[in-house]
Amino acid sequence: MSRTVIIGIDGVPYSLMKDLSDRGVMPNFKELIKEGVFTRMRSSIPEISSVSWSSIITGKNPGEHGVYGFRDIIKGTYVVSFHDFRKLKAPAFWHVYNSKKYILINIPSTYPAQKVNGIHISGFVSPDLAKAVYPPSFLKILKKMDYRIDIDADRSRRYKNVLFRELFSTLDARMKVFKYLNERLDWDFAMFVITGSDRLEHFLWDAYLDENNEWHSPFLEFFKFVDDVIGYIVNNVMNENDNLLIISDHGMEFSKFEINVNALLVKEGYLVLKDDRRRGYNSIKYGSKAFALEPCRIYLNREGKYPRGCVKENEVDGLIDELVNLFYDLRVDGKRVVSKVYRKEEIYHGTYVDHAPDLVVVPAEGFSFNARLFKENVIEKSSLPGKHNEEAFLYVRNGEGVVPNDPSVEDVISIVHELGGLS
Amino acid sequence: MKAHNADKTCWNCPAAMLKGHVDFRACGQSMRRLQELSEEGEILIRCRRRPELGYFEPTITFEECPEWELTKYGYLLRDMRVLILGIDGYLGWTLALKLAVLGCKVAGVDNFLRRKMVAEKGSMSVVPIASMKERLKAAKEVLGVEIEFRKIDVLDKQRLGAFMKEFQPEAIVHYAEIPSAPYSMVDADHAIKVQHNNVLGTLGLLFLMRDICPEACLLKLGTMGEYGTPLTGRPLFEGLFPADAVLKWRGREWSLGGELTPRDPVSFYHVSKVQDTFNIYEACKYWWLRSYDIMQGVIYGVHTDEVAADPRLRTRLDVDEWFGTAVNRFVCQAILGMPLTVYGEGEQIRGFIALEDAMECMVRLIASPPEPGQYMVVNQVSGLYRIIDLAKIVADVARDFGYYVKIQKIENPRVEADVHPYEVVSENLPNLFGFRPKVTPEVEIARMFELLTQPHIKERIKKLAHVIMPVTWWSGEKRVPEVIEVLEPDAVSKGVYKPVLHTGLKPEVYYSMVRTRKKWRKVAT
Repeated sequence: MSRTVIIGIDGVPYSLMKDLSDRGVMPNFKELIKEGVFTRMRSSIPEISSVSWSSIITGKNPGEHGVYGFRDIIKGTYVVSFHDFRKLKAPAFWHVYNSKKYILINIPSTYPAQKVNGIHISGFVSPDLAKAVYPPSFLKILKKMDYRIDIDADRSRRYKNVLFRELFSTLDARMKVFKYLNERLDWDFAMFVITGSDRLEHFLWDAYLDENNEWHSPFLEFFKFVDDVIGYIVNNVMNENDNLLIISDHGMEFSKFEINVNALLVKEGYLVLKDDRRRGYNSIKYGSKAFALEPCRIYLNREGKYPRGCVKENEVDGLIDELVNLFYDLRVDGKRVVSKVYRKEEIYHGTYVDHAPDLVVVPAEGFSFNARLFKENVIEKSSLPGKHNEEAFLYVRNGEGVVPNDPSVEDVISIVHELGGLS
Repeated sequence: MKAHNADKTCWNCPAAMLKGHVDFRACGQSMRRLQELSEEGEILIRCRRRPELGYFEPTITFEECPEWELTKYGYLLRDMRVLILGIDGYLGWTLALKLAVLGCKVAGVDNFLRRKMVAEKGSMSVVPIASMKERLKAAKEVLGVEIEFRKIDVLDKQRLGAFMKEFQPEAIVHYAEIPSAPYSMVDADHAIKVQHNNVLGTLGLLFLMRDICPEACLLKLGTMGEYGTPLTGRPLFEGLFPADAVLKWRGREWSLGGELTPRDPVSFYHVSKVQDTFNIYEACKYWWLRSYDIMQGVIYGVHTDEVAADPRLRTRLDVDEWFGTAVNRFVCQAILGMPLTVYGEGEQIRGFIALEDAMECMVRLIASPPEPGQYMVVNQVSGLYRIIDLAKIVADVARDFGYYVKIQKIENPRVEADVHPYEVVSENLPNLFGFRPKVTPEVEIARMFELLTQPHIKERIKKLAHVIMPVTWWSGEKRVPEVIEVLEPDAVSKGVYKPVLHTGLKPEVYYSMVRTRKKWRKVAT
C-alpha cells in the first residue's frame, strides 16, 4: 500500500524554488518537477505560518479553524495570548484519519503536541521541547540527538555566521530524527517541515537577490542542503509508488520599508495609548477606535467586546470605510504601500468569523507591516530584508488531474485525499 | 486610594515563568533563559497558577488578576510561597508568623547558629523562646497556621537546593547571616566565620536561585552600616545614585545616575554585607534574578500582634555585647538599674525602626516584587536618632515604669566617628510601597518595659548583667572601656549635627499614621 510524504519548506515562494532549480542549486527538486505538478499556491490571509499551516493541516478556512495569527486577544480582555494547538477549532488530519501511523516533524503552530497514532514533534512556536513531543518518552532520544525546535532567533539576528551554523545543525538534527524514526517505525504518513528556509530568507533576502553579497553563496548552500534532504527522503525513505507533496506555506519578497501600523493608528487618532509599555495592549485607552495585531490585522475596539471598547454597531461600517481608505491612501515616496485591504466577510467563513480581524491589510512589494505598540515613527527602514507574500508553492508527484487550478493552502488535504493518501 | 502595587503586572509576578522571546517579524523563537529584553522579540510567559491562559504577554495587573488578593499591605499573591532562611532568629520568626497569618505558605530553614553563638558568649535570649518544635506547634494552636521547617545550614547547597526544589519558593527572605559587628571583630576565627557564612552562603544561594527559582524575589537584608557615615555629610542614597547625580572632576562632569553609591563598611561584618551587595547586583545582571537589598536601620522592640499572641510565640531578644543592639540593651540596663552606656560622645546618628514597622516593610516588599533583572535598594528606617537621644528616651520612659537611670559615656571600642553629620534618603518604601511608620520609639520602648519587667524575664536579665558591657575592641584589645562621663538624662545636650531624613513626603504625611506616646499612655491607663 502506498504511503504519503509531505515535505514542507517554510516561507519559500514558487519563484525561489523555480530559480534555484533552474540554476542547478536544487538538482533533486529539478528532477522531481519532471514527474509531477509544480505550481504556485495561494497562501492564507494573512500570509503567516500559523494561519497557513493551520489551513494546510485542517483543509479549512481561518473562519473554521479559528487561527488568525501567532497571537490573539483573550476574549473580553486586552491580554495577548499565543497560539495553542489545543485551541485549533478544526481537527488536524492526523486526528481525523487516526488509523494511519504518522511521523509528524516540526509542523508550525502545533504546540503542545497532542496524542497521535505515531510520533508528533511540534514546530515554531514551541516554548518547551518537553511538551513539543508525543509520546513524551521520545524526548530523551530527541535530546540525545541534539534536536532543536528552531534556530535561536536572537543570536542569529546578531551574528550571521551563527545563523548559518544554526541553520545547518538544526536541519541536520531534524533529518537524523526522521531517519531514526523511519528505520524503526512502520509508518503510513510522514510530514516533515523545514523552517530554517523562512528564517534565512527573512534575514538575508537581500543576499539572495545580490550575487555579490558575501552571504549569497552561503544562502545557496543552505538550499543545496535542503535539496539534499529532499533527495535523501525521495531516494532512501520513500518507495516509488508513495505519494509525495512538497509545499510551502507562504512566499517571501524584498522589504525596504516597514510600516508601524499601530503608530499610524495613533497618529491618525484611531488609537490612544496610555504610556505604560509593561501593559501592552492593556494600555489601550477608552476612546480608541481600532488597534492592530501582527502583521496587519485591524480590530475595531467594539463596545461590549473589549473592556474599554467604544465602537458602537452603527459606527462600524463608516469606520471600516475610513480605515480602508486610510490604508489605500498610504504612500511612501509616491508608492502605494498597500496592495489589498480585505474586509473579514470577503475572506473568512465559518463558525469563528466573529473572532476574526475586521480588516486584513496586505502590503505591496517593498513594504512590510509591524504591529508593535509604542513605536514612534510610522515609517522606518525595514529591519529585515525579507517579508512574507502570498506566493507559496505546491509540488505533487504524479499530480496531474488532482491539483486544482489556482490552488490554495486549504486544498492540500483534499489533494492528498485524491491521491488516496488518506483513504 | 489604589494599593501601592495595583498596577504591577505579570512582569513582576513570581508565578509568571519567562519562557523566552518570540520574534514574529522573523518567525523566530529564542528560548534560552531570558537575560535581556530583545529589540524585536516579544516576551512569552506562562502562568504557573493559571495554565488555562496558555502562553501570553505579561500585561495583567495585580489588581486585575484573581490570584492577587487585596490586603492592608497591598495586593498579595494568594498562598504565596515564602521561604525564610534563618527562620529561628529575631526577625525570621517574627516575619514567618506575620506572613503565615496573612495567608502565605511559609517555610523556613535554620541551623540554630544564633542560639549557639549567643550561648558561646554565655548569654541567652532575655525573652524566653521556645524550641522550634514548640514554636511550630504553638503557631498551629494559637494562630491556626502551618509553617514548614527544615534544619539546614545555608552553606549546605545540596540540602538547601533539594528543599528549594521541593518548596518552589516565590519569595526568599535571607536572614541566615551572622548579624554582629563585634562578633566579627573578636579575632581572626570569628571574622572568617562571619564572612564565610555570610558571603559564601549568599553566593551559593544565588546559584541555587538561578537554577531552581529564577522568578522568585530575593529579599536580602543589608544594613545602613554598609554606607558608613561620610564626614562630608553626603546624603546616603538608596544604594544607587539618583538620575541627577553628577561627578565633577577637573572641570568635566559625568552622570552617576544608576551607579552603585560608595560603601564604607564599619566592621568585617559590614564588609560581608557589602560583598553580598555586589554579588547580588551581579547575579541580577548576569541571570536576570530580581532582588530587594534592604538596608535596615537598627531594629528594636519586641512587639507584633503575632509574637504577642502567646508566650511560646515570642521572638528572641538579645542584650549581650555581640548581638544586643542599642535600644534593646538600654532597656535591659534600665531595668537592672545600670546607667545606659553610649560609646564616646554618643553622638553617632543611626537609622532606627521598630520591629513592627520593619515587619510591615518586609510584607510590603514581598507583596510587590521587582522586575526580572531588577536590583533595588531600600533604606529601611522610620527615623534617625543620635544614640544619646535614644538613651534619653529610654530613660524617660523608664521613669514611667519606676526606674531612674543615668546615662554614661564610655570609651568607644569601635573605630568610628562619634560626631558626624547624617543625611539619609528613604523614599522608596513610603513612595513605592505605601509604607508609613506606625510606631514611635516611645511607644515601642514602653511595650518593651511592659514585657521585660515581668518577674521571670527580669530574673533572666539579672543573670545576664555581666554580658552587656562591651569588651571587644576593634583594636583587638579585650577589656571593659573606661567611663568618661555620667549624665542625668535631662543634661543631654542638643548635639552638633541634626539628622536629616528624606522621605519624599511631608513629615505630617509620612508620620500621619504613627501612634504617639500620649496615645499609648491613654491605652495603658
